[in-house]
Amino acid sequence: MLIFGFVQNPERQRFIRLRDLARSPREKARLLKFPLAARDLLLRDNLTHTHPSFCSPNATAPSLLVQFRRQNMETLLANCVEKNLTQFMFSNAIFLCERLLAQFPSEVNLQLLARCYLSNSQPYSAYYILKGSKTPESRYLFAFSCFKLDLLGEAESALLSTEQVPGGAAGHYLLGLIYRYAGRKNSSIQQFRMALSCDPLCWEAYAELCSLGAAGEASVVFGNVAAQRLQKTNVSQRINFSGGETMDHLIDSDKVSKDTCVWQTEHVSGENQQDLKVKQLGAEIPPDSDKQCNGSSHTNGWDLKTPSPVLTQVLDAPPPMLYKNMRRPEVEGLMYVHGESRRKFMSEEESLEAPEESGRRRSARIAARRKIPLFHSYGKDSHVLHHSPSESNGVPSLSSMIGKCRIQSSKEATTSGQSIGDTGSSVDDEQNSNPRGSSPNPFSLMSGISEVLNLLKILGDGHRHLLMYNCQEALLIYQKLSEKQYNTHWVLMQVGKAYVELQDYFNADSVFTLAHQKSPYALEGMDTYSTVLYHLKEEMRLGYLAQELIAVDRLSPESWCASGNYYSLRKDHEAALKMFRRAIQLNDRFTYAHTLCGHELAALEDFEEAERCYRKALSIDTRHYNAWYGLGMTYLHQEKFEFAQHQFQMALQINPRSSVILCYFGIALHESKRNDEALKMMEKAIVADARNPLSKYFKANILADLGDYHRALEVLEELKDSAPHESSVHALLGKIYKQVKLYDKAVLNFGTALDLNPSPSDTVKIKACMERLTVPNELETEEDL
Amino acid sequence: MATESSESEEEGKIRGGNDKLIVDDDLREMGKNAAWSVSSCKPGNGVNTLRDDNLETYWQSDGLQPHLINIQFQKKVRLQLVALYVDFKLDESYTPSKISVRAGDGFHNLKEVKSVELVKPSGWVSISLSGTDPRETFVNTFMLQIAMLSNHLNGRDTHIRQIKVYGPRPNPIPRQPFQFTSTEFITYSTLR
Repeated sequence: MLIFGFVQNPERQRFIRLRDLARSPREKARLLKFPLAARDLLLRDNLTHTHPSFCSPNATAPSLLVQFRRQNMETLLANCVEKNLTQFMFSNAIFLCERLLAQFPSEVNLQLLARCYLSNSQPYSAYYILKGSKTPESRYLFAFSCFKLDLLGEAESALLSTEQVPGGAAGHYLLGLIYRYAGRKNSSIQQFRMALSCDPLCWEAYAELCSLGAAGEASVVFGNVAAQRLQKTNVSQRINFSGGETMDHLIDSDKVSKDTCVWQTEHVSGENQQDLKVKQLGAEIPPDSDKQCNGSSHTNGWDLKTPSPVLTQVLDAPPPMLYKNMRRPEVEGLMYVHGESRRKFMSEEESLEAPEESGRRRSARIAARRKIPLFHSYGKDSHVLHHSPSESNGVPSLSSMIGKCRIQSSKEATTSGQSIGDTGSSVDDEQNSNPRGSSPNPFSLMSGISEVLNLLKILGDGHRHLLMYNCQEALLIYQKLSEKQYNTHWVLMQVGKAYVELQDYFNADSVFTLAHQKSPYALEGMDTYSTVLYHLKEEMRLGYLAQELIAVDRLSPESWCASGNYYSLRKDHEAALKMFRRAIQLNDRFTYAHTLCGHELAALEDFEEAERCYRKALSIDTRHYNAWYGLGMTYLHQEKFEFAQHQFQMALQINPRSSVILCYFGIALHESKRNDEALKMMEKAIVADARNPLSKYFKANILADLGDYHRALEVLEELKDSAPHESSVHALLGKIYKQVKLYDKAVLNFGTALDLNPSPSDTVKIKACMERLTVPNELETEEDL
Repeated sequence: MATESSESEEEGKIRGGNDKLIVDDDLREMGKNAAWSVSSCKPGNGVNTLRDDNLETYWQSDGLQPHLINIQFQKKVRLQLVALYVDFKLDESYTPSKISVRAGDGFHNLKEVKSVELVKPSGWVSISLSGTDPRETFVNTFMLQIAMLSNHLNGRDTHIRQIKVYGPRPNPIPRQPFQFTSTEFITYSTLR
């Protein structure tokens, strides 16, 4: 091995200084000019043997050779690092990358190291090494690290320091998240919209828009414009390229192009293609492409005719047809192995991280075959995975899709509790069904795009309706999905949530049970499931669920929410509070945990603390109507009726169809003596959900309070027939009959009420009422009523 | 009601006690909303020890009998049960023997509600405040006073390790006359 200035002896035991090898100044000069000549000298001194590096042809200038050797080491290390990243050997990758960076300090290697750190959940390391970097890719990675470290201001400035946001759709999405976390709603909406326009397959951006209440119609967002964009960017990949083409805002293409890894460079070139602006379908070399390659010996080596057999082959292979089937045979041979392994990882990745729709993966696979995305998972809590440069132009890359749809469970669990688990089987189906031999002609591409977009339209529509709480519509829309898609965890969660919002807990239970059976590892949405079990008073099943979830993952807030619900069902509010606080510790932005804390504190009658919790939940997500409802209830308990009205009104703005909220709003109105409005509200509640008996009960109560006994009796008699086992109905009937002096009926109803096991305090009341039936009303004390 | 190991009805004597405090589900502890005071105490064994959930610490009185524990609420509350932790084996002559529970609006109009005699208690002792009449399940009062009239072995001062006061759970639905019993009603009564 020859390192500048030194040569290793054949036994590789020691390095011999070239200078020492030379016995005369002339030899020395010759050595310095032609390091290969060292071989002769070594031979002469019997110190050498045939070494591969000596056999290289075309050795021209020493600088080239040295460069070449440098490239080899750099290449080798970079290659290895990339491979380690795909195989999740993060510590090895970090180690090698640190050596790489030390030996060959360059921006590209720095970015590679940052990626290693981010993959290993060390955002702080990535933050420090990337501080001050100016290239777009570095800025994106830096912004990402800042985001992970909760340094929103720095993240924002990193992304905004140039006019164009680095990272394309991913950059916009990240910026949108930053704005959302900072509470800047309008800016975040804008950013998410831009992300979607850059890359229509950036589903997460659409989901965020839905949860902010600002999503456009799915048929528009995932409509023709999106189809055209996808088509153009995909078609542009096939245009020939010449090496070294890069665009400004490419991220990984830079990193990759600087690798001399053959396969990667080839794919990079493909990536370069994708990054062409949509309008430019021809191959172009942007003026600053060289700038991108600066400081890197790799690409220089690339451009120069380095004597690497592999590289020449690649260079000879015109269009880098990254569709597997379009590869030239020689290239194909080269690429096959690497591609295969990549595909394997991809499939594993898919089943592990499972984007929400397997249909999308098909187009992803089309995209993936064009270029092998160098995606890595950044651990459980990565928002945006390895972004590919193509995102800037909306090309669906597998990595970006996985990245974007990977809503990490803890950090970004939205109130809608979306899940991203998927059944592995559907993945395999898709993969197997993918025709290996299909040629990527424009027609199949278009059909692929349209299929993907159709799927997204349905899902987007359903999701949007769900978050607007039009639950019936959402359910109808989700029914349109194919059975394969419907039975995925995410969709089932959505359906379950829809039932929950309709207060149809039985159906919700069956859906959630099915989903949980299919994917016991998927924790998203399990907090809602535990709430369903809480409502159904299924203590045993809830306890079992909580234990299961904690066994799957002790560090996910959903598991602790489930255990909290269990304790709450057993009326052990202190313990429940502890569980919910743990969930909050694990993820401060898990809105539902805050709301549940508030509920527990309200049950413990600590209303101030409860209010604080509810407001915290609302600060994270203003559209979390449960928190508004909770606030309203605390004010009702504290008899602050005007405040209560306001909270219920806010809740109703978000979810106008909830009969429960309508009922309590009515009660608050009644207590503030706005009785007409109260009665109207009760009517609305009855209409909104005919199965809710409480709306009629409350209505009767209000009527009785107002003195309109006959109407109250009508309503109650009706209610009695539909709910014969409710003691309070009979008790109220008894009370009203007493008021109208129909004592026989009163006694009858009180007796029935007592038979139906009321609570002890109610028993006392009812018995007292019965005893005083013959006593005139004025003598009754307040407590009896 | 809380379970007691034995109680002889005719004289209100309570023997023994429970190690664990077992209370019905429909009762909840009301002591948090009350102001607690005692008639006298030894430094280091003050009124805090009565409410610290620690059975090792105890209140020790330091004055003339009867020793009093006063529990005052800001508004009238319904109380159903008082539970004390006393232990003859540990406290011997400090263990209270005759206890009188009084209720009223304030110090001026307390009236005895219940009187019990403990015989070598060891553990949680529950004193129910209900009368025989179903209408008298609860005592509706501003203030409760627990008076230690005499101790075992004629001790002068008394030790009490913990006290809890229980009343009925309130209606989870505000401003409603009756609580719901059927699951359907309860399911629709809250959002979570």
